[in-house]
Amino acid sequence: MSSAAPSALDKRLTRILLLIPYLLKNPGTTTGELAARFGVAEEVVSEDLQLVYVCGLPGYGPGDLIDVSFTGDQVFVDTADYFGAPLRLTAAEALALYAGGQAVLELPGMQEAGALRRALRKLGSALGAGRPESSVEVHLAGGPARHMEVLGRALRDSRRVRMEYFSASRAVLTERTIDPWGLVATLGRWYLVAFDHLSSEERMFRVDRIKGAELLDEAAEVPADFDPSSYREVFRARPEQEVLSFEISAETSGWFIDSYPCRSVTELDDGWFRVELVAGGRAGAAALLLRLGPHVRAVEPDELRHEARTLAAAIAARHRA
Amino acid sequence: MHRIERLINLIAALLDSPRPMSAEEIRRRIAGYDQPTDEAFRRAFERDKESLRAMGVPIEMMSTDPFSEQMDAYTIPRHRYYLPQLDLEDDEVAALRIASEILLGPGERAGAALLKLSLDAPPSQAGTRLVWGADLAAEQPLLAVLYEAVTQGRVVSFDYTTATGAGARRILEPYRLLHRNGHWYVVGRDRQRDAIRAFRVSRMKPKVTLSDNGFEVPEDFDAAAHLGEAWEIGEDTQPAVVRFELAMRWWAEQNLASSPLREAADGALEVEMPVGNPDALISWVIGFGGAAEIVSPEAVRARLLDHLAPFLEATRA
Repeated sequence: MSSAAPSALDKRLTRILLLIPYLLKNPGTTTGELAARFGVAEEVVSEDLQLVYVCGLPGYGPGDLIDVSFTGDQVFVDTADYFGAPLRLTAAEALALYAGGQAVLELPGMQEAGALRRALRKLGSALGAGRPESSVEVHLAGGPARHMEVLGRALRDSRRVRMEYFSASRAVLTERTIDPWGLVATLGRWYLVAFDHLSSEERMFRVDRIKGAELLDEAAEVPADFDPSSYREVFRARPEQEVLSFEISAETSGWFIDSYPCRSVTELDDGWFRVELVAGGRAGAAALLLRLGPHVRAVEPDELRHEARTLAAAIAARHRA
Repeated sequence: MHRIERLINLIAALLDSPRPMSAEEIRRRIAGYDQPTDEAFRRAFERDKESLRAMGVPIEMMSTDPFSEQMDAYTIPRHRYYLPQLDLEDDEVAALRIASEILLGPGERAGAALLKLSLDAPPSQAGTRLVWGADLAAEQPLLAVLYEAVTQGRVVSFDYTTATGAGARRILEPYRLLHRNGHWYVVGRDRQRDAIRAFRVSRMKPKVTLSDNGFEVPEDFDAAAHLGEAWEIGEDTQPAVVRFELAMRWWAEQNLASSPLREAADGALEVEMPVGNPDALISWVIGFGGAAEIVSPEAVRARLLDHLAPFLEATRA
C-alpha cells in the first residue's frame, strides 16, 4: 500500500507482537535463530527483547513486567500469557494471500495448488465472518492451458522452448527458440520474460499470442541474478530500457495517466501534457501511439516515430481497399 | 519512555483486563500516559488508538454502565485479537509463501502475514519465477477496506467519478472484488439504482465508509458477466464485423469462441461483435498490427483511417 505503507514503528511493533508468542511456544530459541526467522539482524532482536523487558501490566513490578531471561544465547519469556497467540491477519494481509494464491491456482501444473487450496480453506474458516474464498477473482488472458503447462515445466526444469509467436509489429507468425526466465501477470494478461534467440535479446512475450509451444531437450540459460520482481512494473524503467517521450492532449491525459505508469508528466502552456514512460518494447509502444491517434504529437525518439508510421501504413492498407 | 513501550503496555493492559478501562483509568494506570495536561493525554491516546487500529489491533469501545448507552471505556476482545489455531501443514505454509511472494515479493506485509501463520512451521527457501504485476499487487489502500467489506458482507458508500467525469455518492452492497485488464473492480448491487454495477477502484475517492446493514450475495453470482469488454460499453450498440487474417485466426478461435464466427473465402475468420464504443474497438484492432481489420460498419472503418491520419500524412510528407 503505497499511501499506507507501514512505518518503522509499525514494523517493529508487528515483529514484537509475533516475537513474544513465538518465544512463549518455543522457549530457549537462540537470538541467532530468531534473527533468521524474523529476517532481521541479531542486534535488532536483542534491542526488541530489551524493550519487551520493560513492558507489562499496570503495577509494573516484578510480577507484572514481561520476564525475559537468557541462558547463554538462549532466550526465555514468561509472565506474558496474554500475548500467547499472534494478532489476526489484517484485511490487507489476507487479501495479499488470496489474490496471490490465484496465480498458483490458475497456473496449470503448479504442484502447490492442492496444498494452497487446503491452506486457504483453513484460513477462510479461521478468519471467521464471511467468505474470503469467493470474494476475490483475478482474470487473466493466458492463452490455452497447454501452453501455460509447457511454460511452467520449462521454468521448473530450466528447459529451452520452441514456439510460434504472433508478432504484431509485422503482423506475422514467427518461429523462435527461447530460454524462458519467468512469467509475469500484469495488465490483465500473462507475459513471458525470455531470452529470444531470434533477436538475440531479452524480450517480453504475450502468452496469449503464442500459437504453439514445444519443450526442447536442451537446457535453457537463465541469468544467475534473474529477479522476477524487477518485472513487476512492465512500464517502469529498468536500466536496459529506453525512455519514450511524447505529448498528449488534455482530453486523453486523464485515462492515459490513469492506465500507464508515467515516469513524468508535465503540463504544457497549451493544455497538452508531455509524458515520459518506458515500454516493454518499441513494437508495443508504436501500437500505443497509434491508439492515441490525433491525441499524440512530438514523439521521441525518431525511431519510434518511424515504427509507428510503418505500422499505421500496414493497418491503413487493409482498411482502404 | 519510547512510544512503542507505551503501545505495548496499552495492548497488554486491555488484553489482560477482565473489564473495559475508561480513559481516565488508562491515564492513571498504564505506564506512558502521564502527560502533564488532559489535552496532551487526549492527543497521545487518540494517536495511539489510530496507529493500533491501522495495524489491525481491535480496540473497541464499550459502556461500563449496563444501563447507559454511553460508550466510555476501551477493551481489546481476545477472540478478535488472537489468530485462531490453524494447524497448517508444512506444504500448506510453503504454498502460502509462494502465493505471497508472487504477489508482493518477499515484502514486509506478506512477510508478517506468513510469520503469523507459520510460527510453528520450519522456515523454507522456496523460490519462484512467477510474479504478479504491481497493478495486481493490491497496492491501493482502498482495496483492503473493500476486501473487508466484501468478506464481512458490509455495505459501503463512496464518491465515484465515472469515465466521463460525472461524480456522485454511491451506496453499494459489495459482492466481489475482481481484477481484469489490469484494473481492480468492485461489483455489487447499487442500492440507489437497484441494479448490479461494477466500479473501478482507482476511480473511487477515499474515503469509503462501511455500515453494518447486511445483505445476501445471490447464489451463483457471476461478477464477470457484469463487466463487459471496453468496446461493448456505450449507449447504442451496433453489430460490427472484425476480420482476422490467417496469422491471427487461431487467436480469434481461441479467445472469441462465444461470438458468431464465419470463415471467409481466403481462410481468414470474420467475427461479429456488439459495439457500443467504436473508439475502444479501433484501439483494440490496432493492437493486432495489420492482422485484424474492421469490415463493418463502414463508419467505424472510416473512423479508424481518420484516427491513423496523423501518422499517415507524416509518411507522405
